[in-house]
Amino acid sequence: MHQRFLSKYRTWGSSSAWRSAAGLFAAIFFVGFWAPMSASAAPAGCAALQAKYPAWKGKTLVNAINPHTPGYEAIDPNDPTKYVGFDIDLGEQIGECLGFKVSYKAVTFSALLTTLASGQADIVISDIYATEERAKAADFIRYSKVFDGVLVAKGNPKKINGINLSMCGAAAAENTGYVEVPLIQALVEQCKAAGKPEPTIQLYDNNANCIQAILAGRADTYVNDVNTVDQAVKANPDALEKAIAVTIPYSVGIAVPKDKPEFRDAVLAAMVEIHKSGIQAELLKKWGLDPNNLEEPSILSVK
Amino acid sequence: MDLFLHYLSLPYLLQGIWFTLAVTGLGLAGGLILGLILAGMQLSRFKILSIFARAYTVIFRGTPLILQMVFAYDALPHIGITLSAIGAAGLALAANEAPFIAEMLRAGVLGVDRGQIAAGQALGMPPGMLILRIIAPQALRDMVPALGNETVSALKNSSLASVISVQELTLRSTQLASSTFDFFSIFFASGLIYLGLTTTVSIVQLFVERSLDLDRAKRPSIWRNFLPWRLGEGSAPPTAGQSADAVDGNAVADPSAPATGRSNTTPRVDRAKRAATLESNDVAVEVKELRKSYANQPVLDGLDLTVRFGEVVALLGPSGSGKSTLLRCINHLENWESGSVRVAGRRLDVSDSGRALTPREIANERASVGVGMVFQHFNLFAHLTALENIAGPLRWIHSMSRQDAERRARMLLDRVGLSHRADALPRHMSGGQQQRVAIARALAPYPSVLLLDEPTSALDPELVSEVLDVIRQLAVEDGLTMIIATHQIRFADEVADRVAFLNGGSIIEQGPAHEVLTNPRHALTQRFLSIMEADKAPRRSA
Repeated sequence: MHQRFLSKYRTWGSSSAWRSAAGLFAAIFFVGFWAPMSASAAPAGCAALQAKYPAWKGKTLVNAINPHTPGYEAIDPNDPTKYVGFDIDLGEQIGECLGFKVSYKAVTFSALLTTLASGQADIVISDIYATEERAKAADFIRYSKVFDGVLVAKGNPKKINGINLSMCGAAAAENTGYVEVPLIQALVEQCKAAGKPEPTIQLYDNNANCIQAILAGRADTYVNDVNTVDQAVKANPDALEKAIAVTIPYSVGIAVPKDKPEFRDAVLAAMVEIHKSGIQAELLKKWGLDPNNLEEPSILSVK
Repeated sequence: MDLFLHYLSLPYLLQGIWFTLAVTGLGLAGGLILGLILAGMQLSRFKILSIFARAYTVIFRGTPLILQMVFAYDALPHIGITLSAIGAAGLALAANEAPFIAEMLRAGVLGVDRGQIAAGQALGMPPGMLILRIIAPQALRDMVPALGNETVSALKNSSLASVISVQELTLRSTQLASSTFDFFSIFFASGLIYLGLTTTVSIVQLFVERSLDLDRAKRPSIWRNFLPWRLGEGSAPPTAGQSADAVDGNAVADPSAPATGRSNTTPRVDRAKRAATLESNDVAVEVKELRKSYANQPVLDGLDLTVRFGEVVALLGPSGSGKSTLLRCINHLENWESGSVRVAGRRLDVSDSGRALTPREIANERASVGVGMVFQHFNLFAHLTALENIAGPLRWIHSMSRQDAERRARMLLDRVGLSHRADALPRHMSGGQQQRVAIARALAPYPSVLLLDEPTSALDPELVSEVLDVIRQLAVEDGLTMIIATHQIRFADEVADRVAFLNGGSIIEQGPAHEVLTNPRHALTQRFLSIMEADKAPRRSA
């Protein structure tokens, strides 16, 4: 579930992910039949990593997630006791590689990093975009590009075509703590300068509430990870549509505590193995995500 | 509709109920414990405790629960306290509920009539017993509706635990909605589940209210026996020392006191003879140089009084002359500034070594010395039947077995002519009947002295005589030592051996009843008696 959150944030930028939304959706429904990815053998380099980083072997680590992003992290509709999605599989893969098991803790999006910082979770893999701002609260291992979709009511009555002047005067639904919030806030000045009414932002605490805001006519648009947007359209084809996909200048990252650099390095090393071995690409395919999301793993850490 | 039913019966949602109940349960149980402590602190004599309690209330009643939950979950780990999500939610809910529950407890306790507490003290109940037997049963009864409300509110508030990852109903509903997009079916289903839970609480509340309703509870239900204040009441068989014979008796008056008839027709010579006999009896009550004031206004001003066993003393005097205060001092329901009070040779204020007694020790002394007290406003325990008002204290204070206590109570009810009202609650009895039960209650533990504080002043005129008859009978047949504060001049003349006339906190005239009442020497006594003249007029029933 962590992963889903992370990918939500990431996917704003990458347009290719949208195409695979249908596949993602299908994947969710069939996930019950799929063997966990971790069942596939861990990359060869993982044995050496377990020898190098033995501290987490045999442990169960808590992964904090905001399980409201189908495709990345959400409960399995067929078995609500399980979390499924790309981020979930990715976390299991990292655990497989380093020798730990994963348990999950569901929190609101804005509480992900707080939960990590308070020690209530060991890791956050929840479609969270790795920004400089957030890197003050946690270290990130970046692993995916970001593509966002702009969700609007069917027919796009406000003619919104991106995070630009077309949003002046519109009401945007957003999740508290999402990176899209400051992007839309930045439009306020631009709209004023252009002599247009300001956009307003409605903050909700999960994906479902943002989508409901458009369905109820309270909001005109909801900008989020493109796969999330595609799934919302798929669930409500008569009422919603995706106006456009936009790239935003972030990467999705795995958040780890700032005071555990060794753990950060171990997770990075595991991600490199998973990336190199092609498992990451395999997972994107499994969940119907755009292969263009792939990104070389790297660390974002600020003082 | 199908989807709605699907989600209504989905195990994933139904299991969420458990988490909802766990958080609610922790919150309420913790809130009750914390609330008890807070209420205790607020009612405490120590100012620093009540200030602390008030500060706590301001903070936790004045900040949103959601912040408290996040704090308990995310901030406490930084100081080394890492609670589970349910634990943190339970703690926050408990901390939040505590001030509300404390207020309910405080209101419940303050709602119990002060007179009943004084009556319990006078019977020799230590503070803990008073709380358990008298205050708690009545306070809790009054609190049930408010507690029901609080439970419903806590149940709904537990949904806020969803922000700190507790897998309760609301969190599960939103997660399910996010993954299935069946927004409304899911929330209608979880709404209905919440409604089911709160309705259950309401039904339980009604059931508890009905069970505790004294007017309905003709036959005590089985589970009432498990209420805390009923636990530990064994029904041990009568012990040899407390057999029927021993219980049968009357007060511990000096056996030399005449046990035969004395009334207003008693010849003077008999009175003189009786006075001489009393003179040789031991001292029952000795009050020396007693001084007490309220807000610099002296109420007792160096008062002296000696009462011998078997003697009946009537205290007369205008309102505010100190009669009631004197009686309350004899029983040590009041403190005083200087002077001493001895009952049967023992002091109730300090131990032999001169140390001031604690409230608990005073209660034990009262019970063992045996000072019975009858109050102007009866002060029967409102939640107990006439029988239990008498038998209960015998079991609790004097460890009498259930059978013996009941036998004694029935015998006394019979003596005051109320056997037929044994199972009646005080509120269903007339004032006269209540006062007769109160007299029986005061007599039950065989007091060496009975204090009566204007026992007929609160009664309607037509009910006065039934109470006076009972008191007269006690004086005449039992030779009981009694000190009676009264305005009934004629009654004092009939029953008392001696009258003491109080004014301004001291005795200005005392002597043989008939003598003082017919031939007062002090000007104030004369004036008082002439004002009360009407009362002296013969009344058929008195």
